Amino acid sequence: MITEDITNKKVLSKGNYAIAKASILAGCDCYFGYPITPQSEIGEYMSGKMQELGRAYVSAESELAAISMTLGACSTGVKAMTSSSSCAVALMQETLSYATADELPLVLISVMRGGPGLGNIYPSQGDYFQATKGGGNGDYKLIVLAPSNVQECVDLTYKAFHLAHKYRNPTVLLADGLLGQMMEPVEFKPYPYAEIDNSDWALTGAKNRKSRVIRSYAPLADNQCKFVEKLFEKYKTIEENETEWEEMGTEDADIILVSFGSTSRNVKTAMKLCREKGLKVGFFRPITLFPFPNKRLNELASKVKKFITVEVNMGQMINDVKLAVNGKASVELIHKAVGAPPSPEEIQSQVEELI
Amino acid sequence: MATQVFKIPKSLKENMKYSFCPGCDHGVAVRLVAEVLDELDIQDRSVLIASIGCSVTAYDFLDVDSVEAPHGRALAVGTGVKRAKPNQVVFSYQGDGDFASIGLAESLHAALRGEKLTAICINNTTYGMTGGQLGPTTLLGQKTTTSTMGRNVEYYGYPIKIAEHVALCDGTAYAARVSLDTVANIRKAKQAIKKAFEVQLNGLGFGFVEILATCPTNWRMTPEQAHERVRKEMMKHYVPGVYKDITETK
Amino acid sequence: MSRIVIDKNKCKACYLCINECPKKLLKIGNETNSLGNHVVEFVDLKKECLGCAMCATRCPDLAITEVYRG
Repeated sequence: MITEDITNKKVLSKGNYAIAKASILAGCDCYFGYPITPQSEIGEYMSGKMQELGRAYVSAESELAAISMTLGACSTGVKAMTSSSSCAVALMQETLSYATADELPLVLISVMRGGPGLGNIYPSQGDYFQATKGGGNGDYKLIVLAPSNVQECVDLTYKAFHLAHKYRNPTVLLADGLLGQMMEPVEFKPYPYAEIDNSDWALTGAKNRKSRVIRSYAPLADNQCKFVEKLFEKYKTIEENETEWEEMGTEDADIILVSFGSTSRNVKTAMKLCREKGLKVGFFRPITLFPFPNKRLNELASKVKKFITVEVNMGQMINDVKLAVNGKASVELIHKAVGAPPSPEEIQSQVEELI
Repeated sequence: MATQVFKIPKSLKENMKYSFCPGCDHGVAVRLVAEVLDELDIQDRSVLIASIGCSVTAYDFLDVDSVEAPHGRALAVGTGVKRAKPNQVVFSYQGDGDFASIGLAESLHAALRGEKLTAICINNTTYGMTGGQLGPTTLLGQKTTTSTMGRNVEYYGYPIKIAEHVALCDGTAYAARVSLDTVANIRKAKQAIKKAFEVQLNGLGFGFVEILATCPTNWRMTPEQAHERVRKEMMKHYVPGVYKDITETK
Repeated sequence: MSRIVIDKNKCKACYLCINECPKKLLKIGNETNSLGNHVVEFVDLKKECLGCAMCATRCPDLAITEVYRG
């Protein structure tokens, strides 16, 4: 049990360091990574701390290797993670697909930057699709958690380890360059979740038991059908139990602004500005991007006229909002491609234009 | 009273039946690994990293805990297992395409880091499972389904000598190339595999064996002709021998 | 007396063992197995088997499951 980082008072921390410290406190046994801006501080912090604690740290030769090392470590039942950003998370998609098929509790910290291609190191939400729809092959889902401040970087990192192990499914903490680089007061409480028993599946050597095989290769078509259907049963359970969101002012709203991650901070302020002007505007923030709060959005759609998603991309989450709303209300978009989120004033004036 | 001099190794799954083609040397190689696990008494603390290709089926036969790696990533997955559980014996069973083409970076970096892993690499100069295409070890002049006029340098470049490359890595404790063309060489191969496990058990570094093997189906040869090819063509270019052994006293 | 045991259902008829036997005691049999292969037969009328296990060492399919020497 590591206690030195647990504080009962708030300390100032950069998002990346907060994620790294929270991973240590969550009991992460192994970290594997390859540097990329804007998340390199995570690997830098882990390299020193993991060695100090006698835990595993490997400076991998590539992101392909880093996530495969994480897959290997996870197969033994330990808590293991990697972290990366956009164009390098792209390299990890294949192994994420394997890890879902292998039902391994892999944790990936994805700190988004501008794309496509090398893009730039400014904040972005351009990897909403990458995280929630995936670039790996086959039918699979990753659990995706989206923090909006540094405190949530800590709390949702804890939760990422918990959910990954609870459901034996790869879990992504989807932050962005803004959260990674910004400093905020934050409290490091102890890891709040109970440890999950993995003795019935982890690879520990076939001593006094039958040997175990963690595999995705199913040469017979019927087996593969059954297996994928079973995976989707699990995703249904995750949807029922773990969908999380925040909403404000939705009771009497005509318009609801929907936003996730760092962008939602300015959106929340914009909502207040709109309210001051007498507009009945509400705020809705999905915290879990998978499972997406479809059901709640659909309920709200019966009561409101319009949803406006605010995103730092060309409009990605808007597709999921449209599916959730299912034609009951109109869905519009306020966005910019890459960079710092639009200011509350910009959002407010664009809302006014849209109504 | 007759004594039993050959039996099925206990590190193979009960009633298992290989799914390899007739005459394929994979069956011999997997059996040798099982015999070594028996002799070193490490079956119950070993983890097999299965790769992609015909070699993936090793987990259907070897009675050890196993995890399947994405194509080429076997030794990265192995690194993860070993770093998480240093007391486990971790080994990969890979083909030349997995080890030396798509996975060359993972393979050589595992050796460079001196990971306490054992890697067994089958070299049959072709991609067997996909139907006999040109691979990293396909010999100059060799005809495959993607080098129908024979491998030439202008189009395809040179084949890789895997064991020599692995031996160059500072973290490698043992690197050898063996052949399965004769019974005598099969026995030598087993000793090399054993040594590659022993360097891991003794914490000395990376242990590696490249096994020259046949692919009669894709070579369009009888099993006998295939072994003849190993002797006459492969062993000339891929010379068997121990390329590095840090335990050797000079 | 030296002898070998053949698991006929594992024989894939590669016949590598036949050339390996120093006493030429293995031959292609008339019997076929579930794979449709004419399986290898062990015929040792003069008790010549040495129990050298070269056949089993060579067999890629573990169809020669046991070898006894004595």
